Amino acid sequence: MLIATAKESYRADQALLTNRAQWVWLGLLIAGLVLVPFGANAYWTYLACLVLINVASATGLNILTGYTGLVSLGHGAFMALGAYTVAILEQRLGTPFLLNILAGGAVAAAIGMIVGIPSLRVKGLYLAIATIGASIILQFVFLNWTSVTGGSRGINVAPATFFGTEMARPSELYWVIMPITVLMVLGAANLFRTRIGRAFIAIRDRDISAEVLGIPLLRYKLLSFAVSSFYAGVAGGMWAYMFRSVGPESFTLLTSIFFLAAIIVGGMGSILGAILGAIFMTMVPELLRFAVAFVAPFIDNAATLLAPVRTMVFGLLIILFLVFEPQGIAEIIRRIRRSWHLWPFRK
Amino acid sequence: MLQTTRKTLLALVAGSAFAFAFGAPAAKAQDLVIGGSIPLTGVFAFAGIGIEAGMQDYIAYVNEQGGVHGRQLRLAYEDTGYQVDQSVAVFNRLTSQHDIHLYYGDSTAFSRTINPELNRMNSMIMAGASFASEINDPEAFPFQFMAGPDYTEMTNILLEYIAQETPGARVLLVNSDTEFGRDPIEGTRARAEELGLTIADVIITPPGAVDVSTEILKLRRARPDYAIFHGYILAPLPEFMSQARELGLDTKFMGTFWSMDNSIWQSVGEVADGFMGVMPYRYYFDEEEAPMLEHIRSVRPEYQSTAYIQGYLTAMLLVEAAKRTLDEGQELTAENLKAALNSIEDFDTGGLIGVPISIPGNSIPVGRVYQYDAEAERMVAVSDWINVQE
Repeated sequence: MLIATAKESYRADQALLTNRAQWVWLGLLIAGLVLVPFGANAYWTYLACLVLINVASATGLNILTGYTGLVSLGHGAFMALGAYTVAILEQRLGTPFLLNILAGGAVAAAIGMIVGIPSLRVKGLYLAIATIGASIILQFVFLNWTSVTGGSRGINVAPATFFGTEMARPSELYWVIMPITVLMVLGAANLFRTRIGRAFIAIRDRDISAEVLGIPLLRYKLLSFAVSSFYAGVAGGMWAYMFRSVGPESFTLLTSIFFLAAIIVGGMGSILGAILGAIFMTMVPELLRFAVAFVAPFIDNAATLLAPVRTMVFGLLIILFLVFEPQGIAEIIRRIRRSWHLWPFRK
Repeated sequence: MLQTTRKTLLALVAGSAFAFAFGAPAAKAQDLVIGGSIPLTGVFAFAGIGIEAGMQDYIAYVNEQGGVHGRQLRLAYEDTGYQVDQSVAVFNRLTSQHDIHLYYGDSTAFSRTINPELNRMNSMIMAGASFASEINDPEAFPFQFMAGPDYTEMTNILLEYIAQETPGARVLLVNSDTEFGRDPIEGTRARAEELGLTIADVIITPPGAVDVSTEILKLRRARPDYAIFHGYILAPLPEFMSQARELGLDTKFMGTFWSMDNSIWQSVGEVADGFMGVMPYRYYFDEEEAPMLEHIRSVRPEYQSTAYIQGYLTAMLLVEAAKRTLDEGQELTAENLKAALNSIEDFDTGGLIGVPISIPGNSIPVGRVYQYDAEAERMVAVSDWINVQE
């Protein structure tokens, strides 16, 4: 039973994990993450990798949209930037994969800052449209700068190698994707314990007040775009190693909408929210496959008949979440946690 | 209390019945499983539904005759929504559940993504909905093939026809600004030059473009004898055709396989009259002698799409490769299966393709030009079968 958490210093107040139960959960999560490739088959390991990539990217968008309040529909394009950078570096220079992924993040961050410039003048839907405009330009470049991007056909990516060992399969790539994502999520969680993170939140809550408080909007808005795009770029880089082929159709506007939906469903402005949202958006359509498989013995051609139903149920679930839990899945977790606070006593 | 117990008991019984049904293996391990990442939703669903039906019907046909070497065939497939990440997920899911040696993939991006894995596994061959020229390269894609000509070969078939009908004709290429659309441009240019045809212009339209007035102006300026459209299913073809007609142009409009389904042109009506295109297979309603088509018509009395025929023929070729491998007493490895597939020579498809086919590489470079007759509401063959094998 947890009655209260007494904090005796600011340091303790700012700590990410405040009680023993949280440490236990974190320990279990890390143990689980380490054990995945040993216990799961190719399918589940693949999905784990996909979820982790999406978690990294959603966390990035959450920094920008959830914490800084700047709506972006250009996230897919930033992922594409990372993916293309990795593909080009791998193809032309054959540099180590970690360096390529970092470079992917850096390129995306640099372009992200430029794309973020309109955020100084426009907000909300207007900014969303401005970012769509930027992603249309980037899409055009990917498609038409054939000598670099391979045009409509794109670029095939050689597998990542680590001391001569190829990492081509999800079970091998997992050891690249998992630590990077964990580091990025930890980085994001810690970001909001710093001056920078608090500045982002101040801008989200009221940008004029933030400016009055002495937060330079130009610097911090662009910084938020840079950090967010860096996350997208790194996620795109990991995506490139996973799918081994990058083209202009790999990341579309739908990708950006997917991530925006993920953070809204998961819970904006919450690290856990982005994680849960990405898991929800990636896994629910897959889990619905099991529902289809479940009824398959009773219906002829279940896969064909139920495929549209599966898509509709997925859409419906998103709507229901928005209606009944506008704070996102993270809020449900918070509520469950609260209800356990006095365990084994009842409230 | 009693009620609760009864409810719980009922739930338990129902649950275990479901679990039993779910957990029980649906089929014997001896089955020969064809895996499939098939788009049953999304932009390509219209094709996926036909493909699945075609494959299922061929599988049923073979099973009725005792299967392959006494093994029954089974299609294990799932919807991909035409998304590459889902296609890969389905591939991983199906291959971890079943022993799969034959596979149907749904897109060029999937073919390319899964290619290294196919090479590594060396346990299956794959065909699919993509006719990308890039895949027609046995060195780069050793364990894949396509049940028809690649997109460049398709346009080359059209060019052969044009060169015969109108030597020295002016040809306009209209392509959608997608990988699918841009695929055959280079190959078409090169072949047109060899055949003494002039490429009047190349128009690239944005994907999903509805307003094509500027492109029509280009068409008017180019004044081509023929316009070959590629990378579309239907739109913006009818718009081009009706506007060109209003302008008094006598350009003949042509398309490639995925825009050749009879039912979509039927829905267009009068404007569709005269539209031509390349078809690698016979249509459901073709009257020439074709025992396999007769069988299809007996099983399915209503019209079946070109995607259906594609699925049917793809299943036939996949199964033929497996049959030949087992005939030789060999293991079902990708190498053996592909070698068996490439041993197909002068093979009779039961009339689905009008001439005996061979598969020396990754494609079947054969096709025929059909033209839509609005009055009869159907595609009518206007050429013989053209083979563009080099």
